[in-house]
Amino acid sequence: MSQLIGVWVAAFLTLCIFSFLSRDNPFFRFAESLFAGVSLGYYIGIVAVNTLVPNLINPLFGDFGANAHLLIPLLLGLNLYTRFIPRIAWLARISLAVYIAYYIGINMVQKIQGEIVPQVGSTILHPIGGVMTPVDNLILIVGVLAVLIYFYFSIEHRGAVGAVSRLGVWFLMLGFGAAFGYTVMGRVSLLIGRMNFLFIDLVRITGQVF
Amino acid sequence: MFWKLRLPLALTFIVGLVPIVTFFLSTQAPVIGPAVQFARDRVERYMVIIAGFALLLGVVSVVQGSVRKIERRRPGWPFAASLLAGLVVMGAFGILSAMRVGPFQGLLTAPDGGMTPFFWMTRNLFNPLQAAMFSLLAFYIASAAFRAFRVRNVEATILLIAAFIVMAGRTPLGEYAFGWLPGGERWLPAVTDWIMTVPNAAAQRGVIIGAALGAASLSLRVILGIERSYLGTTEK
Amino acid sequence: MKLERLVNIDRRIVYLCIAVGTTLPLLLPIGLPVSSTPPVRSLFEKVESLGPEDVVLLSFDYGPTTAPENTPMAEAILRHCFTRGIKVVVIALFPIGGVTMAGEVLANITPEYPQLQEGVDYAFLGYKDGAQAAMKQMGVAFVNVFPVDNGRRPLGEIPLMQRVVNYDDVDLIVTLSTNVIAEWWANLVNAQFGTPVAVGATAVSAPKYYAFLDSGQMIGLLGGLKGASEYERLVIDRYPHFARLYDRPGVYTAIKGMDAQTVDHAIIMAFILFGNTVHFLIRRRDRRAGLRDA
Repeated sequence: MSQLIGVWVAAFLTLCIFSFLSRDNPFFRFAESLFAGVSLGYYIGIVAVNTLVPNLINPLFGDFGANAHLLIPLLLGLNLYTRFIPRIAWLARISLAVYIAYYIGINMVQKIQGEIVPQVGSTILHPIGGVMTPVDNLILIVGVLAVLIYFYFSIEHRGAVGAVSRLGVWFLMLGFGAAFGYTVMGRVSLLIGRMNFLFIDLVRITGQVF
Repeated sequence: MFWKLRLPLALTFIVGLVPIVTFFLSTQAPVIGPAVQFARDRVERYMVIIAGFALLLGVVSVVQGSVRKIERRRPGWPFAASLLAGLVVMGAFGILSAMRVGPFQGLLTAPDGGMTPFFWMTRNLFNPLQAAMFSLLAFYIASAAFRAFRVRNVEATILLIAAFIVMAGRTPLGEYAFGWLPGGERWLPAVTDWIMTVPNAAAQRGVIIGAALGAASLSLRVILGIERSYLGTTEK
Repeated sequence: MKLERLVNIDRRIVYLCIAVGTTLPLLLPIGLPVSSTPPVRSLFEKVESLGPEDVVLLSFDYGPTTAPENTPMAEAILRHCFTRGIKVVVIALFPIGGVTMAGEVLANITPEYPQLQEGVDYAFLGYKDGAQAAMKQMGVAFVNVFPVDNGRRPLGEIPLMQRVVNYDDVDLIVTLSTNVIAEWWANLVNAQFGTPVAVGATAVSAPKYYAFLDSGQMIGLLGGLKGASEYERLVIDRYPHFARLYDRPGVYTAIKGMDAQTVDHAIIMAFILFGNTVHFLIRRRDRRAGLRDA
């Protein structure tokens, strides 16, 4: 029975959201606000169950002597919330600085070692071996260079630079056209899932109960 | 001034260097190896925990805003109430699940194989609301493509042709388009594969390299304290 | 009829066409064929090369927003791994629904393999915050990030996790992703630890990953519902007993979804062509009337 109630609640909320296609209305606004509230409540649940309890609370209170150092992330994490108290909001900058700095540092290494070097290296090494034809290899190398020249705005795009930049735009248009095609596929897939739920799953589960 | 600006900037510099320096230094090296291992492991474990606290910052903001709206009876306040109701109920289910109280035995399935209350809410409210909200995009992309996708110049024509080839080639439509010709069912999919692996890859690679260079330079600016907007100040 | 009225059709007519085009093929399946592409075959062949001594790390980095694309991928890959006896470690790093998607997929698939034992043949470690920090620390030891599994069992008590300590013990990482986390597996984990990475991406992200595929940072790519349907097709062709699972009436699969996908693509392409045709007719009419410069 709880499955039947649940699936009809889900169907009602889905139709409330879809009602926006006609016009804004109280049903949509109710579903939208519920969407925001339930999503935030979901975050609370997964963070509490999956991170705070096993990685912080249980080790800290289970064996404080060996895990006293976990007071550091506890204090830094709680300190983030001082931003909501105007008089001591500046304290949150300390935690923010630590949190953002670490991910900025990781990001810097990721971008250079994980993107720039392999992507540039792969482009330079393209004529050597691989599964693509020599013509394809050449097109890829020319395409990458043309796109990079298009994004180089420190010199005016005139003459030879302008021509290569124009070629870069054409490559970008091919890429964006492909991306648009895939985006259509992606968006339509989401609707297919919801329609499958409304017309197949809902009917099947209701039929099973009755 | 020291506590409000200089200390955060100093911490940014020191902590920002940790992942960079530990990347280059080996944990097997004599003397500094264990220190590198210690710094890297401790910092990474702390960041997992702090990320959990950071994810919940938005909850406090939204609760503050909603409570204010309800108190002052601003237009749309009943919807703020439904937002809070959803948040409180789902959040309470989540915290009780963390404490393993009564029927709240975790997030997914209970020890007896049944659905926990949190999972029931997830499956019947969270999932359909998320999915339905994003599935509206299918309607909007169709409407926007009809109204706004106009071939006005060479670039738009290239974009349209590439989009059509991919949209047809990535479905069985592409096989039927020329399937009446001998071997024709492979033409459009083959052209689509070529577009994705050659010109698309070239364009995406150019964008990736350019964006990565920009992101790396921004990272350096933040670590060196030149860029301070993340602290909410541009003060020197 | 005035041309301007044709180009200003009520948007609800467009919505209705899309809704009908999506629903009818689901209710009345056409059964259009699905053929595979090299990026999908590459992942399939990689999994085919693995066996009972090998370990796949499967990361659920998507939520309900892209479940119609990513869940069929997850189910097909899990069935493939379990059929070949490959050990699977399941994690989730996406906060908006990753762990619940993982739980649902495992609950759907594991009953098909009653001989499998959780903790021996597969392990479900749950979700963890901090994505990049967690990814880096898993290169040292999984237990530093996941001290317990999703069922609160200490990792030291799980037989599979006693031998899978870090990425050195993982033969393939497959991420099913809706956003940038897939890139992090490639540009952080593959770049710094060398473990092969394959991606099952939502269609919106897939075009970008062809650059990573070309550079070898990703060894396989499933792009959107099409990619999911291709993998399902490859699995069914290689293991024909799966056909009865995928042909069950009322069960959503990517292959069935491709019928609706095809019809919707045709509708959208028709609308774009119609809109541009009317637009050109308007321009030609105005040019002839001398109102607009060619």
